[in-house]
Amino acid sequence: MSSAPKSTDEDQLDLIFHALANRTRRAQLAMLAQGPVTISELAAPFDMTLPAASKHLKVLEKAGLVTREIDGRVHRCSLRPDPLQRLQAWTETWQHFWSGSLDALARFIEAESQGDDDV
Amino acid sequence: MSEIAPLIVERVIRASPARVFAAWTTPELMTRWWGPEGVAATGVEIDLRVGGRYRIGNRLPDDKVIWIAGIFEQITAPGPTDEPARLVYTWGVEPAESDEQVAVVFLPDPAGTRVHLTHTRIASQRQRDNHMHGWAGCLDGLEGLEF
Repeated sequence: MSSAPKSTDEDQLDLIFHALANRTRRAQLAMLAQGPVTISELAAPFDMTLPAASKHLKVLEKAGLVTREIDGRVHRCSLRPDPLQRLQAWTETWQHFWSGSLDALARFIEAESQGDDDV
Repeated sequence: MSEIAPLIVERVIRASPARVFAAWTTPELMTRWWGPEGVAATGVEIDLRVGGRYRIGNRLPDDKVIWIAGIFEQITAPGPTDEPARLVYTWGVEPAESDEQVAVVFLPDPAGTRVHLTHTRIASQRQRDNHMHGWAGCLDGLEGLEF
């Protein structure tokens, strides 16, 4: 597929995991998954000040999870899909692996059980 | 960090927890079932005790062999108590460190055993992406084949 990851990729992964390791930021991401929102909209459901919401948002931006467009005084934020797709690729790979392995285990055990009441 | 995006897979298997646990922890048995379609175990070593090591050789569809290895952190063998049989072990593709974690619980089920597997601690493995590319390539190939 592609060559070995550069250290900048690793640095980006560190930033992504740091960004995700906070429940407020995960909730912000969930909200952004519904579509672009302003920072005020983002702050409202979490009962937090604009600077506090903005601080969390900066962490998400640094990880490349969110982009911000500035239109006059309105800051509009959107979710960026790329970083999350890397995590999804990991999950899908092992999902396949385990799912296939458990199917194989079921076939193996059930084949061994035929004509055998020790279940 | 360890709680991020855990992967969970479940399957009901028509055999007792004792039999399924044995299939999972006995090298001669594991060799006979391990791996999804296209992947075969080339060798299985299991030192079944807390702190003991396991290694599983996996021959991929392109004939490349990778070794998955780790250390047992928790072992609850099937027994007469209500506590379900359970294995917790670290997980990594050599030569990376085994800093992911796999937990397998063998729950009694009316149909036999419900195997509940959780794969976590994905955050810290340094060489993860290298292996990822190898796996993903193999899986892409697998998906193109008709079995």
